[in-house]
Amino acid sequence: MTLAFLGAGSLLAGLVMAVFSALLSFWAGRTENGVMIQVGRRAFYATAAMIFIASALLETALVTHDFSLAYVTEHTDLSTPIALVAAGFYGGQEGSLLYWALILSILGSASLLASSRLGPRLAAYAAGIMAAIASFFLVVLVLVASPFDVLAITPPDGLGLNPVLRDGGMLIHPPVVLAGFAAFAIPFSFAAAALLAGRFDAAWIAHTRRFALVAWGLQSAGLLLGMWWAYHVLGWGGYWGWDPVENVAFMPWLATTAYLHSSQVQERRGRLRAWNFGLVILAFLLVVFGTFIVRSGIVPSVHTFAVSPIGPWFLGFLGVCLVFSIGVLAWRSGGLHSSGEPAPAVSREGAFALQNLLLIGVIAVVFWGTMLPLVSGLVGQERVVSASYYERASGPLFAAILALMAAGPLIPWRHAGVPFWRSLTWPAATWALVLAILLVAGVRGLPALIGVPLAAAVASTVVYEYARAIGRWRRAGGGWPRAVALLARRRRRYGAYLAHLGLAVVVVGLAASHFWQQEKDVTLQTGQQVTVAGYTLTFAGAETRELADHSELVAAMTLGGQTLEPARATYAGLGGQSLTHVAISSSPIADLYVVLAGTNSDGSASFRIFVNPLVSWIWSGGAIIIVGVVLGNAGRRRAVGEPVAVSVPSAVGAS
Amino acid sequence: MIRWAIVMGVVAACVGYLVYSASGGASEYYVTVSELRSHQPASGDVRVAGVVQDDIQRSNGGLHVRFTEKDGTASVVVDYTGTLPDIFKPGITVVAEGRLGADGVFHARAVLAKCPSRFSTTSYTQ
Repeated sequence: MTLAFLGAGSLLAGLVMAVFSALLSFWAGRTENGVMIQVGRRAFYATAAMIFIASALLETALVTHDFSLAYVTEHTDLSTPIALVAAGFYGGQEGSLLYWALILSILGSASLLASSRLGPRLAAYAAGIMAAIASFFLVVLVLVASPFDVLAITPPDGLGLNPVLRDGGMLIHPPVVLAGFAAFAIPFSFAAAALLAGRFDAAWIAHTRRFALVAWGLQSAGLLLGMWWAYHVLGWGGYWGWDPVENVAFMPWLATTAYLHSSQVQERRGRLRAWNFGLVILAFLLVVFGTFIVRSGIVPSVHTFAVSPIGPWFLGFLGVCLVFSIGVLAWRSGGLHSSGEPAPAVSREGAFALQNLLLIGVIAVVFWGTMLPLVSGLVGQERVVSASYYERASGPLFAAILALMAAGPLIPWRHAGVPFWRSLTWPAATWALVLAILLVAGVRGLPALIGVPLAAAVASTVVYEYARAIGRWRRAGGGWPRAVALLARRRRRYGAYLAHLGLAVVVVGLAASHFWQQEKDVTLQTGQQVTVAGYTLTFAGAETRELADHSELVAAMTLGGQTLEPARATYAGLGGQSLTHVAISSSPIADLYVVLAGTNSDGSASFRIFVNPLVSWIWSGGAIIIVGVVLGNAGRRRAVGEPVAVSVPSAVGAS
Repeated sequence: MIRWAIVMGVVAACVGYLVYSASGGASEYYVTVSELRSHQPASGDVRVAGVVQDDIQRSNGGLHVRFTEKDGTASVVVDYTGTLPDIFKPGITVVAEGRLGADGVFHARAVLAKCPSRFSTTSYTQ
């Protein structure tokens, strides 16, 4: 009881602090009142502290099983393992909003602590915008979706967690995805603040580079973990279904990817200013849009989240963000002419610009597919697109992006000369070689013949870049230690190449498991064998095991010396809900994925068996991406300012 | 500026063409059970949402299933071969993807279940 009052009180105090910080920061920034800017900033730190206290209290209530709180009762019970009880913090609607606010306020505080070099105005406006976003979340937490609501009667036990979610994936996927989204509020806030303050140089980009990279790394990891979880738990043999909930998480990732590349053009060459502001705004709006879609249930999805009262609140927030961002951008558009000289089409700048357009194209494809049920429902019969729409519409765009990834790192800034065209022989030769191997091996599917050789070319470019750099530095003297030290000094660049390599590995895994998947439904008597894609499985019998809160039907299948045990659990206490336990035998070549459908009265059992080639490449490619992000981001930040403006005035704007 | 606008225009045209050509064959109509009988489109699959009734007949170890799906007043028998979602049971809402056959039975290519709403099993406060 006391705990609930303390929690609700700290949320309310946080709200008051956040509103105060927002108003004061805007006013102080406008009047450049140094003392008040400091006060506004401290009020934001105080907001962060209040949110942290509320989070700690909610976590305490969860792990001490304080069932007087409705949130604790609805999301946990006494029999749930303690790690999953703790995960209840971000598992429910109210808690996930609190978690969002927590990440925003912590990262926001960190971004403000180091902002002294940005000048008082920009930093004050940024604090104001972040405080305003925090205020929105706190208003929702206080008024509509409080995690500290108290039940009239304290029940002896909670309702517990749906068995589908009783899995290790629950511990890691939701917090990573949510943190990736919340982190992108930081670049957005500083971009909008720079526009408000009339600071069009790249200072805000340099200041928030790390936050953008962290946001991208978390979003990438979150998407891949979601795929991994779906693959291991849901038992349909795949990992990505182009469901609206997946799409709205994918779109901000695409926009963030575009921004990470285009921001370099502004940092290095002073171009694409208006474009960068637009991209950051787009990425943040997509995050808010995704939250709205997921919470409101306005498009049909396999994941129905509760059609909850917070949907309209998020729609309102989306509207405010949209009007504010576009208004500020339009107001300042006059000052956004690029300072750098225009570059020829074949240059690093040109490659980044084209890559950005292609990524925006993919966003448009995904957005249209996601919103079609809503749009078509308004004008007539409701229509939905199937997965093949997304594959056919975005596939060619992804192929073009891969081709750019193979050539892009080799293209110099400003102007590409003969050495560039010569260096292209590496990815081109790899592409031709892999294509020839696939053709000889009898592969005829066009998508795979396009995707896999391009991914190989991307990887060969990365290897070539590493080899070239190491060779040059070794020859310059100092041998290996010096080469490694130099690589470490340019870790931003070589970390990014590693992320490229990881993405190429992911693409090969996606292509192989998608285009070469094999599937077979069988019914077997004990002792019978089945062969799928060269794997021979023997059904050794099935048995029922009674466990504490559920019973399990387990089938034993032997594969060589190995025994796979696909199972179906039935939870009597939950109205007989069943839960598939997929048995997966994984190797770098292929996964054997066995799902038990059920048993028959004659003692036979039915299975659906998949052979998914190279699925493990997706997960290992993801790990390479994360290593690249961590390496590229580790250590001290090097200050990079706006490049010296070129004296030739340019009439060519980026917008 | 002009060059940039041309590139943008070309990419936008490509995306527009891809969206147009891909959505042609790959979009499906959502219909109610009563609409299903009156105007099923001539070709392509449709999706029908409804509540599973308690007449589920499983055969072949659960790989083949036949059940009645009801929406409001109308109902249709759905025939499906494959693995069903874990939460499939009488009373839940499913979306069947497929076509109504001449035999009056809806032959589903896929059966999607609406996930249990949220993290918890049911709401305690409501």
